[in-house]
This record gives sequence, C-alpha cells and structure tokens, in this order.
Amino acid sequence: MIISEKLCNDVTVISIKGTIDAKTAPELKKFEFASALESPVVIDLSDVDFLDSSGLGALVGIARKKRDQGGNVTLACMNNKVRKVFEITQVYKLFDIYDDVEAATLNAGKK
Amino acid sequence: MKALIIIKEQDYSWIREVLPHVHPLLVPICNKPFAEFLIDFSILAGCEAIRFVSDGPLSDVEHYCDDGSRWGIAVSYSSIQIADELQQVIKKNQRYCSDGKIIVISGFIFIHYNKQKDYKKLFAALPEGEILNCICGSLSLSGAPLDGQKAIVSDVALSLTGLNSIDVYYRLSMEVLGYASSPYVLPGYSNEAYCSIGSNVVITKGAEIIKPVIIGNNVQILAGSVIGPDAVIGNNVIVDRDSTVSASIVMDNTYIGEHLAVTNRIATENILIEPESGASMAMEDPHLLTGIKKIGSAETIVQSLVHGLMALILISLQLIPFLLLLPILTMQGKWKWYKNTSYTTVSGKTLKLTTATLERNGLISTLAGALSLDRLPLLFRVLSGQLAIIGGGAVVANSNTVADLSSAPSSNRACVFSYAEAEDWPLTGGDSAIVERYYAVHGNPFQDIIMTVKALFNRILEKNTP
Repeated sequence: MIISEKLCNDVTVISIKGTIDAKTAPELKKFEFASALESPVVIDLSDVDFLDSSGLGALVGIARKKRDQGGNVTLACMNNKVRKVFEITQVYKLFDIYDDVEAATLNAGKK
Repeated sequence: MKALIIIKEQDYSWIREVLPHVHPLLVPICNKPFAEFLIDFSILAGCEAIRFVSDGPLSDVEHYCDDGSRWGIAVSYSSIQIADELQQVIKKNQRYCSDGKIIVISGFIFIHYNKQKDYKKLFAALPEGEILNCICGSLSLSGAPLDGQKAIVSDVALSLTGLNSIDVYYRLSMEVLGYASSPYVLPGYSNEAYCSIGSNVVITKGAEIIKPVIIGNNVQILAGSVIGPDAVIGNNVIVDRDSTVSASIVMDNTYIGEHLAVTNRIATENILIEPESGASMAMEDPHLLTGIKKIGSAETIVQSLVHGLMALILISLQLIPFLLLLPILTMQGKWKWYKNTSYTTVSGKTLKLTTATLERNGLISTLAGALSLDRLPLLFRVLSGQLAIIGGGAVVANSNTVADLSSAPSSNRACVFSYAEAEDWPLTGGDSAIVERYYAVHGNPFQDIIMTVKALFNRILEKNTP
C-alpha cells in the first residue's frame, strides 16, 4: 500500500494505492497527517484494489479521529469493488462520497 | 443523455413496513420490478447510462440489475447522505453528470409512459428544469436543449404517480393490469389481451382463469381454483384446490391454501393486507396461507457442522477448568448468572438464554475470563443448533431492539462469540454492526474457525465481560 499526501485548496488529499487489509491497515491507522488537525481530508480511493474489514476499520478510525478534532473526511472515486464493501457494511452512511476528487476537494469541509 | 434516479429511505419507509422482504425498488408491479419500469423509461428517453442514488442500501438492486448489460445500458450506483439536497447529489456525482443532459428522477414515483411514443426527441428538446412533479417527487432535466429544438411535455403521454401508500400501489398494479394493450413491457407470454402467463406454469384441469390476469413463473394453480378477474399472481406461487383469487395481488413465494377466497387483498407469504386501510393480518395456520421457503444451502449445513465441531472441542477443553473454578468464583461473588431472551435470527424468533458475567479482578477470575469460561453454557446451545459459535452477536429481545433487527443482515444468528470481538472492534455503538455485516457476506465455515480463534485470543486481553 502506498499513501501519498498533497494539499489542494487548503484540503488535504490522501491518495491510497494498493490493498488495504489486515496487513496494511495498521499503517493507515497510524498515518500522521502533515496538515493541520482540523483541516478537511479527502481520501482518493481510485487506486485501491482491495479493502477488507480491517481496512474499513482503519478508514472509520481516521474519520472518527478527524471528526473529534473538528475536521472531516470525505471519500472520492471509489471503484466498484470498494463501493460494494461500503454498500454491504452500510459504512456509506458515515461518509460523504464523491465520484470526483476535484468535486470532493471543492466541497470538503463545507459541512 | 443519462439518468440519475434518486430515491431516499424516507420516500419508501412505508413500504419497508408492509413488504419487508423486498427492496422498494424491486417491488413488483404486475410481476415487473419497479426499477425495471424506470430503466425502460430511461431507455425510451434516450439514456445510455443510469445511476441509482440512495441514502439506503442498494445491494439488492445491484444484485438484480448488475451493470445493466441485460438491457444494453450502463447501470451504476452511488450513495448519498440523508440530508443531501438535489444540488449536493449532483455535486457528489459530478463526474457522471458532467457531460450531456441528465434526466433526474427524484422520489418514489411511478412514471406513466407509453412504449410506442418517442421520448428521445422530447427530452433532447426540452429546456433545463422541472418537467413534472407530484407530492412524492419529480422528474427534471439538467443541461441545455439542443439548438433549434423546442418541445412541450403535453405533446406526449407522460405523467407521475407518487407511491406513498399500499393503496396507491394496489390501484397502480390494477391499472397496469387493466390495459388491453399495455403501454409497458410486461413479463410473461401473451397471445391475447388482458392475459399474460410466465414460464413453468401448471394450470390443472378444472382451474379457471378469468381475464384480466397476469401469472408469474413457476406457478401451480390446482383443480377447482378460480384466478381472476383482476388477479396478479407472482413467481413461485401455489394456489391450492378450490381457492379463488380475484382483484388481488399474490406476491412471490406465497402458498394459498385450499378453499380460500382472496378478494381485494395483497397476499405476501403468510400476510394478508387490505389495501384501502393498510390493515394487515398474519395467518398462523400454514395450511391457509404461508411463505414458500428455500431449502438451506449446502454451505449452511457445512457451517452448522463446523460450528458444532468447534463447540465440542471448546467444551472438552473448558469443562474441567469450568468445574474447578466455578465454585470458587461463585463464592467470591465474581460469577453471576442471569437470564435473558434473545433473538435467534432476524426473523424475530426468540430464545431464552442463561448467560454469565464475570468480574475480572484477581488471578482466578482473570484466568476464567482468559479461558472464556463464561461462554461455556452457551456452547451447548451450539450443539443443539440454536446458536452459532460466531456471528453477528445476540440481540437481547425487547421493544427497543426490535428496530435493530430490520437493519441487521438476514443471515445474522444469535451466537456465542461475535465477529466484532474477533476483529477487536468496539462492541458498543454502531461500529460493531459494520464488521458483522461484512462477515455476513464474506464469511464462510473456514473463516469462522479463524475468527473464533481470534475472538478467543482477544478475550484473553479483555478486561471485563460485556
């Protein structure tokens, strides 16, 4: 799993590439954001090719932590495999999900 | 041109209560799922892609529609939040909506169209904005019209019906059934007006069919039965001898018993609904009215065997420490028994359980907790098939938890250990439900062995029993 971070219009965009499973989820859980704690975060999932319950736990954990700090996490560009995991577990109820990173960046933090 | 079909849980919550086993978008209208009418209309309007958008679950719809290749159209799915307004929904689907015109169908609405009319030109020429609306939703268009084209809606047959009660649903079904030459494409074979029959239908000698009628697939109508007028018989239905079904809808997987007269009713499994008042009655006698259930799959049988075997191994390992430590823990007051009633499955059946709580302070109680001795009494219930060794966790039956059952996965069973314990997710709050739903779909007997071992391992580090 490769995690890259960039700042775009005061919004942190995290791009994740590869698999988020029991092996890689702890790395994502422990990821330290370079941006301010309350700055909104967009997670680009377009290059995630597998997500299991541990990966889901890591994403939910990040969102909970960020919200506790006054920030927000928005998800973007889910592929079909990832979306199906969100669908069956109903985790979509916890996130704002966009089909475009640019739109997510523009709207992140507006809520 | 693309279609964006937005349907929120609040739009269809009423139908969830009446017909809980079928997703509202798949509720059949004359044996054709509601979503298919929307797909047909979108195709007639010239759409090349359809996206279903909801704040509720869409997995059943996705399972049915898949990627839309069956209709030669690209079908996709997207999730939104309950509070999202139309503009926000479009922003969330910006990539999909960015090129060309978008037909937006919002709400739980039925669009009356005619398959012989040309909607392609109409929608290409219509200006941006709302085309039609009703109390339950609207049909609108986003994107500028093509140059030099002008059109008005009244040029072609098009109207909306808001689906907001079981009575509206019933009347709509009867209306669709009543067309001599249907403006919709309906399932089944028909070589005469007002009559359509599906495949694998057995109509026994002596049974009478009175038009208008529509009969689904895999149906048996036995001798002396009278079907119609105005009868919609779903798929996998048996109408037993000398019964009458008129002005009624018999939903899929329903058995109508002998000598029964069903008039002006909706029958679904063992429930009879009076459309006008919405009143429903559950029949307890399976000889009168009941659901036709699928036989358990081979995987379910293997799963039960694996769970039983694991329970047997755990009992043999725990029994001696249990017998040795229980008297000491009871004397110390750290072991307490209590009785509760839990739901065994999401169907709402209950089971009386005797469970134990263990206060983990001190060497002996910590050891007993680490060995999960407090779960031993429940393991015997696994052997009798009443509980699963691992699953979605037992929901204690009371008036507050009834609502939790509707959102739980259908395969959920009361269990000794939960997936949340195995994955070390918080047991309280909504998060445990996430992992339970995940394994309800991705679980298998082999996975259950691993998860049980993980749960046992995690319990060693646990501080107090929940």
